[in-house]
Amino acid sequence: MSANLSNVRHVRGFDIVKPLSIATMIVIMLPLVLLPLASIFIFGTSSGLDSFLAALTAPEAVFALKLSIVTSFWATIFNVLFGLFAAYVLSKYSFWGRNALIVTISLPTAIPTAVAGFALLLLWGPYGTLGRLLDPEGPQIMFTAAAIILANIFVTFPLAFGVIKPVFDTMSSSLEEASATMGATRWQTFWHVTLPSLRGAIVGGALLTFARSVGEFGSTILVSGNLSSRTQTAPLYIFAKFNEGQVEAANAIAIVLALFSFAIFSILFFARDWLEAE
Amino acid sequence: MPGTQNENFAARVMNISKSFGATTVLDDVTFDVNEGEIIVLLGASGSGKTTILRIIAGLELPDAGRVILHGKDVTELPARLRGTGVIFQAYALFPKMNVEENIGYGLRLRRTSKAEIKKAVDRLVEMVHLEEHRRKFPSQLSGGQQQRVAIARALAYGPEVLLFDEPFGALDAQIRTTLRREIRTLLKQINVPSIFITHDQEEALELGDRIAVLNAGRLEQIGTPYEVYNKPETEHVATFLGKANLLPGVIKDGKFTAGDISLEMDDEVNFKEGQAVTLVFRPEDVFLRVAANLTQHYQELADGVVEEVSFIGAFERVGVKTDVPESGQITVIRPKTETAAFPLSVGHRVTVGLVRFRVL
Repeated sequence: MSANLSNVRHVRGFDIVKPLSIATMIVIMLPLVLLPLASIFIFGTSSGLDSFLAALTAPEAVFALKLSIVTSFWATIFNVLFGLFAAYVLSKYSFWGRNALIVTISLPTAIPTAVAGFALLLLWGPYGTLGRLLDPEGPQIMFTAAAIILANIFVTFPLAFGVIKPVFDTMSSSLEEASATMGATRWQTFWHVTLPSLRGAIVGGALLTFARSVGEFGSTILVSGNLSSRTQTAPLYIFAKFNEGQVEAANAIAIVLALFSFAIFSILFFARDWLEAE
Repeated sequence: MPGTQNENFAARVMNISKSFGATTVLDDVTFDVNEGEIIVLLGASGSGKTTILRIIAGLELPDAGRVILHGKDVTELPARLRGTGVIFQAYALFPKMNVEENIGYGLRLRRTSKAEIKKAVDRLVEMVHLEEHRRKFPSQLSGGQQQRVAIARALAYGPEVLLFDEPFGALDAQIRTTLRREIRTLLKQINVPSIFITHDQEEALELGDRIAVLNAGRLEQIGTPYEVYNKPETEHVATFLGKANLLPGVIKDGKFTAGDISLEMDDEVNFKEGQAVTLVFRPEDVFLRVAANLTQHYQELADGVVEEVSFIGAFERVGVKTDVPESGQITVIRPKTETAAFPLSVGHRVTVGLVRFRVL
């Protein structure tokens, strides 16, 4: 009887721990994440929508946003294709040095982005190991959009690979064998059988890479030269405008980047079911 | 050539050998499969049965020997050009394709027209009774349904031979029995030569037209289920396929002799005088009677004492210690009709008679 009673109370009773733990979590997040994010929006809209739109549509700002999107796009395309290829090779084949390669691919996550930018400068800069081989009068890599793409590729290198490889690892080799016995070439098997199973991982990896690229600052400030309307990406624009005291201009772009990240992670979270659906 | 000789064989495996590193997995294995025949490769894990299947499918290359499918030497041919239909252990259905797409995949690869693919898929879906599930994805199907899809998928492109890799391993006992009967009926209807591999002797006996028993990479015996069960050629075959009592002895005056036991042999096998042999008999081929009450129909083995009686459902298992020195306990299986007529309990003295036996 007493066991029944305690059950009833457990089901119907008010569990104080639940609201308390949720509230504690939010209170901790408030000064660390929520308030900083909110203040961007509060400040951005404080001087009215017109000035916000004016700051947003300033040619330099539009250029910076476009440059960020275009350079991130190409870095994403490269890293997803390479990640897919590397994950395939490293999951399928066993060879000497395989683990060393996996560690190397994953390394850029652990390297400070400023170090990544510096390393690229030492390689491709006018006096760099490879840069000195370039014709000084001809096309350059450093301080151009190409340098920004290279920097984005470097810092986001392991992201798509990291998402795709585990899916490859858990994929049964009998799927590929079944496809082969049914008459498929390697390419047909990859296209019809392997690739569809990776759909979720590819989209997820691409979104992560893109989001991370758009927000990249540490390496791009070193390799791009930060030239307004030439090599200035959105995060560099925010930094430059803030240094010039134009907080509103900086804030307008900050709002766009924050919303953009929010959108990408919402897709990743809510579209997971769709991405993984059979 | 062991087994049935037939020039119109559908598949022939000739002198196949294969090693992985220092381990010999297959050692000179030869057998053939006739048109419409079901062969079961039976063996414990590590006996090499999966490797044979993979070699026939082209997923593995043999170190020596040939694989012939419908008269064509396919040993060097890649898997995709062999036209075998493999039903994998976990079915290996393509997770992002629905039932129809899975079944039609082989035809799609062969650039068959959409109308023809639809016709074939309709026919196969009906054949394996999956009409209501044709739009479902593999993850939405039960194990049995997935297996039907796997079979329909392999049948779609008219395979040279069907290869089943332990197809019932992942199913529970009841479904397994129903499904294997269903599949046997289906295979007999469509008359496609098939090779099954299994370690389950009951499955082998029920499914196969012939059974090939493998042991440590060697083919020990191939024959009909009746032959392999009742006339095992090796101790391994006798003990792997069902339970068997073994009794060592020698040949004396053309008879099997052990201690006081002396049995007339009706097998056509010739043994040398004095040769060490083993008497092999199945528990159900033993007849127990109170001493000296044995009918002439059975050959008397020895007298003994009942040491153990256990009820195992449809049968009774009895353990008898014979008076033959150094012989172990022999196992006897008795049907209900027997146990009702002659109830036995521990301590009873009985005479042991053999209905059927084999000397190896």
